[in-house]
Amino acid sequence: MLFSLTTQELMERPDLWEAVHRLRYKIFVEEMGWTDLDRPDGLEIDQFDHDEAEHHLVIRNGELAGYQRMLPTTRPHLLTDVLTDLYEGTPPSGPRVWELTRYAVAPGFRDGKRGVSTVGTELIAGFVEWGLKRNVNQVIIEFEPMWVLRALQLHFLATPLGYQRTYGNQQVVATLLTFSEHTLEVVRQRRNHFPPVLMRGYPGQLGLRQAS
Amino acid sequence: MAKGGSGIYHRYEKQKQHGVDVAMSMFDRTLEYIDQLQHANTASAVCERLLGVTSNFGLTALMAGTVPQPGTPRGQQKDHVLLCDWPGEWLERYVARNYVDHDPVVSHMKQLQAPFQWREASQAIVIDKSSDEVMGDAREFKLRDGLAFPLVTLDGQIVMVSLGGESVELSDVEFGMVSLVSTYAIGRAMQLHTMAGKVVDHIELTPRERECLQWAAVGKSEWEISQILGISEHTSEKHLLNAKSKLGAANRVQAVAEAIRRGYIS
Repeated sequence: MLFSLTTQELMERPDLWEAVHRLRYKIFVEEMGWTDLDRPDGLEIDQFDHDEAEHHLVIRNGELAGYQRMLPTTRPHLLTDVLTDLYEGTPPSGPRVWELTRYAVAPGFRDGKRGVSTVGTELIAGFVEWGLKRNVNQVIIEFEPMWVLRALQLHFLATPLGYQRTYGNQQVVATLLTFSEHTLEVVRQRRNHFPPVLMRGYPGQLGLRQAS
Repeated sequence: MAKGGSGIYHRYEKQKQHGVDVAMSMFDRTLEYIDQLQHANTASAVCERLLGVTSNFGLTALMAGTVPQPGTPRGQQKDHVLLCDWPGEWLERYVARNYVDHDPVVSHMKQLQAPFQWREASQAIVIDKSSDEVMGDAREFKLRDGLAFPLVTLDGQIVMVSLGGESVELSDVEFGMVSLVSTYAIGRAMQLHTMAGKVVDHIELTPRERECLQWAAVGKSEWEISQILGISEHTSEKHLLNAKSKLGAANRVQAVAEAIRRGYIS
């Protein structure tokens, strides 16, 4: 189950808001070592958690299992403001292009060492469903080059936006992914799960397992 | 593949300072190659286009696939191959002599899981007699040096890409371009692979098509089937033709055989 919430909606649910920023801290500051984002309160928050951002939360058994943040390209975003050496020429923008940032799977929900977990693919199915619903068909992602092959396996049309760079001990390449209903079909087939993952409304209180 | 080759970026920075044009035109060319690759419709077209790029740097031969476990029977080794444009005789010898189990490039990849040049592999590994033989034999086929790098699939499988040639000359920036273009080539090959698989695996027969096939399997003619099912002869013929084309069969006999094999009828 994936819920898409605006920053405002997220703030109305302090339990979710805290879980989101705590997970982001755990993954991006503690695991990836992005020390620029370090804060004493153990929450990771930046200037892009603004009114127009959309937060995607995957909930499993009353826990925040996965997260990603969608940013409109009609105003400054990571590629244009922070990761400016990742593109050549003019980066794509417009109402149908969003930027996907802070893709994260909580440690307890990673399956294998190298493969993509079911929470990981649910995030992917989620942003494709979300995009197709609101007439968005392209996302910009700054990811490790190994994701290029995975994106192609899922039948995204991929285009690099610049050269790959090294940040710390990681390589990153900015890539534009274009998707359609066909992509969604392939993603669902790969997951062997066909119903929509994108839910309306809010998840239940965190920490409460749903009675089954 | 996140490790190794951080020098790529320093050199690139310098190039950018000297003139944006040099770097820019190289990037545009990369985009063009990638676009061509995404429009290739067969594995051999993908190979040809990829080698069209890499041969500028002396890389004229290509092998890409998942690495078989040691001791995999020769007959199954070919199933691991995604893209292959090796000299034909070399490929035959490689399979016939089971070189995959002794190839230092393959063993180095298993250990390192990062990009490297072939010559590093020969140096890194305690050369046993057979691995020496593999590299010596490769040289006979004008494969003197090359580079190899790993890619990781959705299920966490490692695909090894190995490109070779007589003399390999490429800067770090060019290596970055070759590995990126190769990633797109492998991605395209995998797309073509699943698309081909889908044609074969995803068949839905309607209940009527199944019924007609079931009666055809016991030797009934179109007219007889139409009488049994209470439909026109023309309709029963149409159901059988549809079923035949869905099953990719050349004639009715093959359609029946294929439907039984797949368990649609018994």
